[in-house]
Amino acid sequence: MSKSSKLPNEKRESSRIKDADGRRVLDDSSRRRRLSRYLEYLEKDNHNDDPQANLNIPSKRYLPFHDLEATSVSSKKKKKAKGHDNVQKRLRKNFAALLEENIQQNGDSDEPNYVTATAPPPKYPTRKFCHVCGFPSNYICVTCGAKYCSIKCLRIHQDTRCLKWTV
Amino acid sequence: MAIILDNGCYTCKVGFSNETRPRLMLNSIIKAKSERRTSFISNQINDCKDLSGIFYLLPLQKGFLIDWDLERQIWDYIFSKENLNLNVEFQEHNIVITEPHFNFTPVRKSMAEVVFEEFQFKGFYTTAASTLSSRSYLRERNRHYCVVIDSGFSFTHVVPYCHDRKLARAVRRIDVGGKLITNHMKDLISYRQLNVMDETYVVNQLKEGACFVSKDFFADMELAKNSDRKVSCKYVLPDFQNIKQGYIQDDKVESSLFSFDTYYIVKLKNERFTVPEVLFNPSYIGRINQIGISEAIVNALDATPREIQPLLYKNIILTGGNAKLPGFKERIFNDVRSITNADFDVQIFSPEDPVTYAWECGAKEVRDGALDNLFVSRKEYEEFGYNICRNRFF
Ligand SMILES: [Zn+2]
Ligand SMILES: [Zn+2]
Repeated sequence: MSKSSKLPNEKRESSRIKDADGRRVLDDSSRRRRLSRYLEYLEKDNHNDDPQANLNIPSKRYLPFHDLEATSVSSKKKKKAKGHDNVQKRLRKNFAALLEENIQQNGDSDEPNYVTATAPPPKYPTRKFCHVCGFPSNYICVTCGAKYCSIKCLRIHQDTRCLKWTV
Repeated sequence: MAIILDNGCYTCKVGFSNETRPRLMLNSIIKAKSERRTSFISNQINDCKDLSGIFYLLPLQKGFLIDWDLERQIWDYIFSKENLNLNVEFQEHNIVITEPHFNFTPVRKSMAEVVFEEFQFKGFYTTAASTLSSRSYLRERNRHYCVVIDSGFSFTHVVPYCHDRKLARAVRRIDVGGKLITNHMKDLISYRQLNVMDETYVVNQLKEGACFVSKDFFADMELAKNSDRKVSCKYVLPDFQNIKQGYIQDDKVESSLFSFDTYYIVKLKNERFTVPEVLFNPSYIGRINQIGISEAIVNALDATPREIQPLLYKNIILTGGNAKLPGFKERIFNDVRSITNADFDVQIFSPEDPVTYAWECGAKEVRDGALDNLFVSRKEYEEFGYNICRNRFF
């Protein structure tokens, strides 16, 4: 086989390399990806889909704050409408974009900010817990790197989340 | 008089400064599976009988106000006549609104715009919730140094104060809050027992009703192995028909459930305390590479001038929703006591209601005129624009 034909193959295999016994194993970078997927999951506001995603539904009626204005001076209304536009234009940014912008602005400045306030990593190596039952664990699944504590939990892990886990 | 709005990621605490307690309003627009034709703004959700599978739209992301389309609707509702008994035009009022530490300039700028240009308040002041807590705490006791722990929905902050200034270089943020704890619990129950991935509301209630902070993590682990009742329990989930609210099952009255056709019980073995443990060891279970609350307190105070450290250790204030977890205060005390210098006198103040404490402090500050010089008036804003806010709010 020529080198050029081998490359695409390697690429496809790259996330699941085989160990000495021929078992499939996740490499480091996909283990890290998996971990960050879990962190993304922990940040989510909802896990379900919006039950009204495709419908434009009015909210329940209430007497809004703005209606309390006794007079409806038209110039005031116009001004308000303009305010809406400005705010909308300025803030079409998500958290990641705002943080990126904030980091750029701070540049080399020595002012404390969101990033400098982040709690540092722990000094000591972390304890390990079985992800099946939650009790302290001494073993690591050779395939995916998940922690388990006993043969019983390893079996459950292999039947369920090992390599299938897609939160 | 002013309106105080502690604009939290999960709940808004809102009310007038002459009141003693705020109203708690959800800071979200909510859609329910059971009522497909309407969405609920904030506490309108109380009209909804079936809270299974509800969907939250939150204007704040990681504690920062990002979505003004949502927040405007929510504020419209919470400032509406049915909530705040406004007998004076709102243009007559000043407003204090909380913001996150190290708020981003565009977020703060649009806050000022909305407050002055749309809602047309008379004056505006913004600062972090923990700053309101520290100001009132110190002024009431005539002290000068304290450290506020604010553990909320999105994150946990450790913030040392000297007089009314925060020691910004010593502030520490842990990316663990109530949302992460609830999501982690959801994942564990769904994987180990019953699929509750869509049931944020239900699991949040379970967390508030059944979780606790362990005083001795590994001893409790041993107890949990044998399903010892001191740490393990069965929790009955609500079905919103017969059972409106979940609760810990008392073995003696188990039979009362048999009259229902179906009901769901989850067995909580170690989850009751391993899940909140993520606040103290984010790397254990949450897999976040950061130190926990207790170590962060010591780490933050290490970054303050040596001579004020003993005074800071004597004035540790616990606020935010997670401070309501049973055992939270004892655990922090034991941890800090054991990590830090034995000469320091560690004293912890835990307010009666850690959720509303910042609001109550804000109201007191306004009543006593302590914020009078800090408000930016609409006139000033119209004349000088955002610059005046930048100079006055710190
Ligand atoms: Zn196990
Ligand atoms: Zn595995």
